[in-house]
Amino acid sequence: MKLKAFAISALAVSVLFAARPVKLLNVSYDPTRELYQEINIAFAKQWKVKTGVDVQISQSHGGSGKQARSVIDGLQADVVTLALAYDIDVLSEKANLVPKNWQSRLPDNSTPYTSTIVFLVRKGNPKHIKDWEDLIQPGTSVITPNPKTSGGARWSYLAAWGYALKKNHGDEKQAQEFVRRLYKNVPVLDSGARGSTTTFVQRGIGDVLLSWENEAYLALNQLGKDKFEIVTPSISILAEPPVSIVDKVTAKHGTTEVAKAYLQFLYSEEGQEIGAKNYYRPHSPQALAKYASQFPKVTLFTIDEVFGGWQKTQKKYFDDGGVFDKIYTPGI
Amino acid sequence: MLVRLFVTLFTGFATAQGQSPDDKIQQLEQKIGDLDQRLKIAERRQEIKAEEEAGRAKSAASVTANGGPFTIRSGDGDFVLRIGADFQIDNRTFPGLSLLPLTDQSLVRRARPTISGTVYKYVDFYVRPDFGQGQVVLYESYAQLNYFSRFNLRAGKFKPPVGLERLQSDDDTSFVERGLPTLLVPSRDIGYQLSGDIVKKRVSYAVGVFNGVPDNSLSDASVSDHRDYAARMFLTPFRPAAKNPLSGLGVGIAATSGNVDGLTLPAYKTFGQNTFFTFAPGVTSTGHRTRLAPQAYYYVGPFGLLTEYTLSEEGFQKGTVRRDIALRSWQVQASYLLTGEKKVFDTLIPKKAFNPHHHGWGAFEIAVRAGDFSVEPGMFNYGFASATTSPWRAREWVGGVNWYLNRMLRISADYANTNFAGGATVANGGNRPTERVFINRFQVNF
Repeated sequence: MKLKAFAISALAVSVLFAARPVKLLNVSYDPTRELYQEINIAFAKQWKVKTGVDVQISQSHGGSGKQARSVIDGLQADVVTLALAYDIDVLSEKANLVPKNWQSRLPDNSTPYTSTIVFLVRKGNPKHIKDWEDLIQPGTSVITPNPKTSGGARWSYLAAWGYALKKNHGDEKQAQEFVRRLYKNVPVLDSGARGSTTTFVQRGIGDVLLSWENEAYLALNQLGKDKFEIVTPSISILAEPPVSIVDKVTAKHGTTEVAKAYLQFLYSEEGQEIGAKNYYRPHSPQALAKYASQFPKVTLFTIDEVFGGWQKTQKKYFDDGGVFDKIYTPGI
Repeated sequence: MLVRLFVTLFTGFATAQGQSPDDKIQQLEQKIGDLDQRLKIAERRQEIKAEEEAGRAKSAASVTANGGPFTIRSGDGDFVLRIGADFQIDNRTFPGLSLLPLTDQSLVRRARPTISGTVYKYVDFYVRPDFGQGQVVLYESYAQLNYFSRFNLRAGKFKPPVGLERLQSDDDTSFVERGLPTLLVPSRDIGYQLSGDIVKKRVSYAVGVFNGVPDNSLSDASVSDHRDYAARMFLTPFRPAAKNPLSGLGVGIAATSGNVDGLTLPAYKTFGQNTFFTFAPGVTSTGHRTRLAPQAYYYVGPFGLLTEYTLSEEGFQKGTVRRDIALRSWQVQASYLLTGEKKVFDTLIPKKAFNPHHHGWGAFEIAVRAGDFSVEPGMFNYGFASATTSPWRAREWVGGVNWYLNRMLRISADYANTNFAGGATVANGGNRPTERVFINRFQVNF
């Protein structure tokens, strides 16, 4: 009898909660605010039509490494859309929040869109910056975030290193010296890409901002083409920001199904087009063709080709005591 | 403007040095630009440092010591540790001559350190031993899951949801000892309880299953397979309407039901903590016990009224005779805060803490109480108690004054008069002598 009463109460509670809108938290890196605002609206509409259930998606943004640490520390992310695979790997390694094979669960290594690193310079390009070589010249002030906390900054760091390696026929010492000189020209290290954009654009500091391509175009469109220009270097890195559901959290919240659908939506034609519109390079040939004019042709190398993957790269360059710690001294 | 000023000042000098004015202007502009950059960089670094410090402060644990328990709280508030304590030092004086050997004494009534807190946001814990009166007793130890605000699950040793004044904290009662109805309800018991506030917090409910303990007692062990079931519902129908004069009205009822086979028989004590009622030798608890406890309070401004009634019907056996006997008790108490504070069921906070240097005198309260305790005649007719040693009725009235120096410190002085019907031989007048006691208390709690 008591058991029956308990079962009825439990059922009543379930019904009570079932009627509520589903809530998702997307923990992302710094420059994706605008992209996911648009994605969230489109997905919520599609999900409502498909299932009749309202879905409310909250966003959290910050430096990618910092965001990963927050999720490990308990931030209840249903999905993570971070700047690089290593930051999702640590969710698996340090907190067992996602399975080890997380990257094989979605197409293209769970990377629904790609990007690269470009230069944002002031109108007229007063320092005549055309390629990576120009960033190490004395008197050139470079703005980029801290690669230990920002995913975008790690991509920038590796893009510069890859360029120097190529230029110096694979000489590691020369590459390290090149990157050391570049960071000597960095006067301020923000923790994330959005902070660096603020430093360069709003505070008027520096001659060049190393930026995600989409972030550079956003700055250009929002703040005026009369103030800034984009310089695409001769060579850059193929930045692959991946996505994953956080299995342990979605299991606890009962949001696994909707979280998976949310990430799959990024691969849909609608999702790809929204990505392209926001200056993320899409995989979809149709979306790419439609927005081809906004993606200049540039030679791109991958992290696997030059550095042997994220695990190795992180340990060598960005872990405490790694190469970055050794070469960085605040400039100016 | 600044550039023109420099130009005006230095044009002559530049010409003298063989440089054209344009070159010099360019150099000066360059220098000013550099200085401007350096200034902006310094400002931005400060800005980033401030942001980082703010971020760290947000996520850093905090320690507070401000009149409540000492508290350590994680940055997100999901983990909390509170360390509190409750010390009560009593002085009891029994004035006048009496046939009973009542001893004046000072004693540590309660010495209860409390460790409580929250882990993972939704799980509360509470541990409270007592070292008072020369004993070590674990009074409370429980964990409570608060994942759903309307359905809180508690497990451990705690106060079962029955008596109104029993559920009030030891530090918040208007008198140093609780009223007579508390004698008939459990003190602490081990079990499980589901509770919550529903209907916009106007209805508070609790249901639980417990080992079962003797009246006004606590125990760490169960004496049989049987369980005691308890339920309570308390309504505060006008609660959210702050301006409604009835917003401080609360009415409720509680009940317990269970088998008492093998339970130790209790002894009932007066306000002065002297035993006035005991059961006869050879009597045992047998069969069923049912308690019913209607209760109410009303608080408006500085005035407070609390009343409750407890009926306990319990099976007793002596030899082959087994009967259900009813024990009844009621109390009415009223209090008034002379210094104008709002009287509440919970902790009272004086408007001005005691500080003679700043004309702060704390809060003063006066309180009166009347109560009654009685047992059915069958208790004596069937030999479960002796009419010459245990009265069939006790009546008390109590007057008290409380001085709340601050939220943590309180000094109380109560006078209680308890008279009895029965409980003595005819040669000694037939009635147990009236107990008069003056108790003052020095209390620190946080």
